[in-house]
Amino acid sequence: MIDFGLNGENVRFDGDAETPLLWVIRDRFKLKGSKFGCGAGLCGACTMHVDGVATRTCILPVSAVAGKQITTIEGLGTPDAMHPLQEAWVEHNVPQCGYCQSGQIMSAAALLAKNPDADAASIDAALAGNICRCGCYPRIKAAILSVAELSYDATALESET
Amino acid sequence: MTQKNLSRRRFLKTAAVSGGGLVIGINLPGCSFNGSLPIDRADDGFIPNAFVQITADNRVTFYCPSDEMGQGIRTGLATIIGEELDIHPQSMNVVSAGSHKDYVNPEFGIQLTGGSNAIRVFWQPLRQTGANTRALILKAAAQDLGVTAEQLSTDNGYIIFADQRFPYGHFVATAATLELPLHTALKSADEFRYIGKQFARIDALAKSTGTAEFGIDADVPGMVYAVVVRAPVAGAKVLEVDSTDVKAMPGITAVVPISSGIAVVADAFWRANKAAKKLRITWDTVPLASVDNERVRADFEAALAINNDLEATQEGDVRNVFAVSSDAVEADYFTPFLAHAPLEPVNATLHIQGDQADLWTGVQSVQGAQGLVERVTGLPRANIRVHNLYLGGGFGRRGTLTHLVEVCEVAMAVNRPVQLLWSRENDLQNGLYRPASLMRLKATIEANGRVSAWHARRAGGNISGDTFGNMLPAMLPALPDSMLNGLADLAEYIFSNWAVDPSSVEGLHETYDFANKIVSHTTVDHGLPLTFWRSVGHSYTAFAVESMMDELAHKGGHDPIELRLANTHNKPRMQTLLREAKTLRENMTVPEGHYLGVAAHSSFFTDVVEIAEVSVEHQQIRVHRVTCIADVGTAVNPDIVKAQLEGAVMFGLTAALHGSIDLAQGQVQQSNFHDYPILRMDEAPAIDVVLINSGGDPTGIGEPGVPPIAPAVANAVFHATGQRLRELPLRLG
Repeated sequence: MIDFGLNGENVRFDGDAETPLLWVIRDRFKLKGSKFGCGAGLCGACTMHVDGVATRTCILPVSAVAGKQITTIEGLGTPDAMHPLQEAWVEHNVPQCGYCQSGQIMSAAALLAKNPDADAASIDAALAGNICRCGCYPRIKAAILSVAELSYDATALESET
Repeated sequence: MTQKNLSRRRFLKTAAVSGGGLVIGINLPGCSFNGSLPIDRADDGFIPNAFVQITADNRVTFYCPSDEMGQGIRTGLATIIGEELDIHPQSMNVVSAGSHKDYVNPEFGIQLTGGSNAIRVFWQPLRQTGANTRALILKAAAQDLGVTAEQLSTDNGYIIFADQRFPYGHFVATAATLELPLHTALKSADEFRYIGKQFARIDALAKSTGTAEFGIDADVPGMVYAVVVRAPVAGAKVLEVDSTDVKAMPGITAVVPISSGIAVVADAFWRANKAAKKLRITWDTVPLASVDNERVRADFEAALAINNDLEATQEGDVRNVFAVSSDAVEADYFTPFLAHAPLEPVNATLHIQGDQADLWTGVQSVQGAQGLVERVTGLPRANIRVHNLYLGGGFGRRGTLTHLVEVCEVAMAVNRPVQLLWSRENDLQNGLYRPASLMRLKATIEANGRVSAWHARRAGGNISGDTFGNMLPAMLPALPDSMLNGLADLAEYIFSNWAVDPSSVEGLHETYDFANKIVSHTTVDHGLPLTFWRSVGHSYTAFAVESMMDELAHKGGHDPIELRLANTHNKPRMQTLLREAKTLRENMTVPEGHYLGVAAHSSFFTDVVEIAEVSVEHQQIRVHRVTCIADVGTAVNPDIVKAQLEGAVMFGLTAALHGSIDLAQGQVQQSNFHDYPILRMDEAPAIDVVLINSGGDPTGIGEPGVPPIAPAVANAVFHATGQRLRELPLRLG
């Protein structure tokens, strides 16, 4: 029996404690936005936030998240109430096949939560674990920078006034 | 010639290995393919043709005949039909069309997405369909409103009469009673409202919120999960299986022999995948088991030394020019096997209920998917519904559908809904590959830079025979295995001995207008399964041709762009791009220690020039910036065209800098992204795309950006280091 928070709700999983978190979320809780890409923590398609930290969940046993807060792409924002990064993704026409994008956005959101005015170099470092086979990298970077700059502008504005 | 071509074992044997006898009917292929349209709620509203459905509440649905794998085809084709129908692509409900003859790709003759052709070949028919449908609605509106059609106009799904707006849906009941006009005049380019304009792709929101549904997301209550252990050496068959340990593992519900190997079925994918690794299987031996990388290269070299090529192209008098010329440049270029590695591994979910079947997957041929399910299950085609969801990358991999044979065999054996998923290891080790090639190019140039003689040779396996063999059972499900094997063998024989497979040599001369040229080919096939890989033959031929052009420029003291201008006098579109490239290059600020390399290539009716800005430090090649200049005639959605070129550059860079599938004793050595690295964010260059829209019908865009990047980088590395790298991936040493 493993209890954890999922997108703000308390949930319980009573299956095999070895089950990788990705499959608990996809198969048991039917949230399909997080993807399977490699099964080895190498591609980032399965990225979720575990207590705010971007984490590869295809190799993370669900037992490891007992008592922790999990956020998936569905918890970050919805089509009707998108996270600023998701809005930027649409605005920059980022996705091609789209399969990696949930993971990319989750990695980006964790970065901006820690470092709201992230620059290109910190984006390179934070997103290097997320493969995009379609090669959307320039747009991913532009989308993140557009949100980071908003925050930067807002901070600048605040300090001026 | 020497017997280099190892016999391959086909994966055609689809008679039921598991679960009872398979009845192959004598229904002619295509019978039910001609039947009623595969449209849900076909009684809802007005369906003037296979592509459009308009309901009374003005919901306009476009049934998209091509498969969305990231190339933006749903947006592109919706834009084309929406332009003439006068409805914004984002106002339409765009869905993937089911299997039906009306959705056949006009050029392929089958329902298949590939070859960068969808926009080009559906451009005219979908515009005409949109225009005819709009004319019909105008006619119905005129009748209902008691006015003439000339008094009416349209605007984004509405009929406009004086200051009144009526939704199209208002008139569908009347429209259904009228005859569809067939030859409505089309708009001129200056009347376009959506084509050539900037707006978000229609799947951007779903794909940014985790709500886009891919094949892997299909979820049928009660389904079990299958992982298949396939031959470590392609084509080998199971001799013996010990599954004792596996059957005792938690969650395992069945271990099933199928035509491609042994399927492990469990209550979760991860459990099936874990258990699959514990199976002890003895495989038989196939000739491929004696093949490693060194052998591949040696066989190619031996074939070129023997020189028993088949000629693909022969113009002018190459041999006499070489005979009197003492300064021909000759070089060999090698490119390895490659995997597609789409981020979503191939998968399928099948639910058979009585004589009905539903298949959820993401493939490049809905028709083929339906045909294979028909073939393996024996169910009537009309009872098989294919739900083709978004493809998590295609790149040619999802044109081969053998995983659908597997899911059928497992579902029949366990008599439950099944989701079959390939692990990443399966994807890299048991798939189909871009063939390896050795290309030998020899050329002479005159003082003015004109190439006076050109001989391009290639040794390697052929894509078409293999892919044809895999497609046949899907496209002709009613034919028996023996006949399909015969046809596939014939295709292979033809391409090995009689006529050159166009995919093997495409791109070895077409970019230029050389007067004297020979392109020739020797088939050397080791039995590794081969198929199309984004840009197909161009993916390797451009590396050889564009490296050689750079070698010629260097030897003759020519500027590399000038040399290409001198050899494209009859290629006005390419001339324009090259001149643009020259201007752009003149205005570039190249930092100290950075070097430029140029390559040009024409493929899929599109011309592309790329300039790579590269530095080399500690033997490491770093690509900082790529300028990509392309002409697609008319860019239906310019931002998607731009995105395709950006993505193609990244895809080509992965091959240029990292990609290699290596064989040892016939087994693929790579297993996951640690040893088959894909370009990552921190290696990705900035990309500037310059579109030159010369007008006219649109040309291909999914693939043409790939071929020039590897040679552009290699040429830059030469300028940086003086080392001419003639092998991919590029390695300094």
